[in-house]
Amino acid sequence: MRYQRRSLMRLFEYQGKALFARYGIPVPRSLLAENESQVLSAVDELGLPVVIKAQVLSGGRGRAGGVVVVKTRDAAVGEARRVLGLTVGGEPTRSLLVEEASEHSAEMYLAVSLDRGRREFVALASRSGGTEVESQARGAIVEVPVPLDGLTDDAASALGAKLGLDGRTASEFRSILRRLEKLSREEECELVEINPLAVHLDGSLVALDSKVVLDDNALFRHPEFSQLAPEDPLEGEAAKFGFAFVRLDGNIAVVGNGAGLVLSTLDLVADSGGRAACFLDLGGGAQRDRVEAALRLVRRLPDAKVILVNIFGGITRTTDVAEGLRGVLSEEPMAPVCARISGADQEEAHALLSGSGILVFGSAQEAVLAAVEAVSP
Amino acid sequence: MTFEVPEIDEPVIVQGITGRYGSLHAGLMLRYGTNVAAGVTPGKGGEAVEGVPVYDTVKEAADNTGAKASVLFVPAPALLSAAQEAAGAGIRLLVAITEHVPIRDTLKILRICQESGTRLIGPNTPGIIVPSMKLKLGIMPAPSFHEGGVALFSRSGTLMYEVADSLTRSGIGQHVALGVGGDPVNCTTLTECLDWAAAADEVNSVVVVGEIGGDAEERLAGHIEETRFHKPLVAYIAGRSAPREKHMGHAGAIIYGDYGTAESKIGALRAAGAKVARTTSEIPALVRSAR
Repeated sequence: MRYQRRSLMRLFEYQGKALFARYGIPVPRSLLAENESQVLSAVDELGLPVVIKAQVLSGGRGRAGGVVVVKTRDAAVGEARRVLGLTVGGEPTRSLLVEEASEHSAEMYLAVSLDRGRREFVALASRSGGTEVESQARGAIVEVPVPLDGLTDDAASALGAKLGLDGRTASEFRSILRRLEKLSREEECELVEINPLAVHLDGSLVALDSKVVLDDNALFRHPEFSQLAPEDPLEGEAAKFGFAFVRLDGNIAVVGNGAGLVLSTLDLVADSGGRAACFLDLGGGAQRDRVEAALRLVRRLPDAKVILVNIFGGITRTTDVAEGLRGVLSEEPMAPVCARISGADQEEAHALLSGSGILVFGSAQEAVLAAVEAVSP
Repeated sequence: MTFEVPEIDEPVIVQGITGRYGSLHAGLMLRYGTNVAAGVTPGKGGEAVEGVPVYDTVKEAADNTGAKASVLFVPAPALLSAAQEAAGAGIRLLVAITEHVPIRDTLKILRICQESGTRLIGPNTPGIIVPSMKLKLGIMPAPSFHEGGVALFSRSGTLMYEVADSLTRSGIGQHVALGVGGDPVNCTTLTECLDWAAAADEVNSVVVVGEIGGDAEERLAGHIEETRFHKPLVAYIAGRSAPREKHMGHAGAIIYGDYGTAESKIGALRAAGAKVARTTSEIPALVRSAR
């Protein structure tokens, strides 16, 4: 029952735009570049001016200086070097999209997204896109429900009419929305977003950016996406074991069995003034080998100075967990381990760990305090 | 729309009973006292697991036992067809333990259930337990649960066990504990659970274990106010310190922008009159003082 899972399956802008193009959604001409000379050949191919855009998954790319218009070859080289050195939200820029610059008169917003509360997909649109869309009042965004078997031409027209579109813009909007909805449904996306959707002076529309979030549970039906390598090698390794893993920026590695339990442990760490280095959920049925694999994984986090283990043994046997902890520790040196182990056979599990060097506690709070203490200067 | 749990000793089916997980938990449910009367695995009809006969189809299993409830342990790619088959065979209550179900499959299952009047709990749920009836349709560790008056509803499995365990150790029993599931879409919502708790005389207080992601807790808070829900309600929300735009284990535990934050949920529940615990260990005392 285990499938590879990731903290979030998102496509880079250039991957999303390739999908857009495959579905007939208009996008500007562009080329991917990984170094300055590739940027120059892209400039020769596309002509000046061009936009150079950092290919990162983190938000806030524009504010970080990751999108820039250049008008000369010299500027293209200089800016390419600068943007390739940018880190956005902790994520280094590994490639650039070089794109023809677009003269446009307005920027709209268009998305097909899961509405969790209503338990259906919806199409959302706004006359004003760009970075303003997140801050604008709810009333400025119009929406229509998207049936599971697809959006009709009438429903797509209705959304354009709610925006007050007419003429060429209205007909192109309807066509782009229907193609975007088809993409969302066929590729099984949680979210597809065009922001901004540029309006040219002649009324035509073009997708200037792409945001695509895949349903990672549907990847078994989309083998082409499962080839995408996770950005973080530890995340990739965690996926092999079926662990849910998220790298964080603190120094306390947090490991537990059950997503909610690990999440609540992160909160306890934060409340006690500590900072977590990761979230690792072993999942149910945490047998000895899985506990060992998890510890070997988190010890490779360069900043982790202590490992905090929180196990509530229900079906999971706490003695298995204890044997796993002891096994790893006897083989290799490791950061100190603070463990909370409760549940069936907990006395036996605690006894197994006495003298092992692992600090064992009966409550999560005690284990958290010990871990925070261990990293305090 | 409300739902009914099976009567004492009413027969139940396990779909996917021959798998490692299905057979383990069929045995644990039986030993708890639940009447697991038949299993279903296509192609394995005629076999037996834990002394329980296995059939190829839900219809055969239902016809031979009279079961109206089924617990599903089938692999994610098979859940849609398994749920459809069960609804078609007259099963009224489905408990889908299966995790990693594609969202569109869950939405299709929801439509099928709505059209056929079938209740599905999950997917990605630990299930439902009614200690007074020795009824366990799920994978929760039975010793943590004890008969009493609390209705415990949770988006997380292990936190549900942890909270039930601490309630039980504090001498506070549970009438029911139900996991709505860790996915972005729950076929049975917290709001529906609340209606169920409002109508159940055995329930004297409610504990809700929520987490970041989506707006189920905000909707619950709105529903408390709209329906003037009158029983004491204690809530806990996991993920106050979680980063944005990351799935925190559960597919449903993700914050986008300001949508799905713990602050929003805690604020909404407090405004609706709920007592919100900062840690799970505070829950038993809050339940006691709320009564």
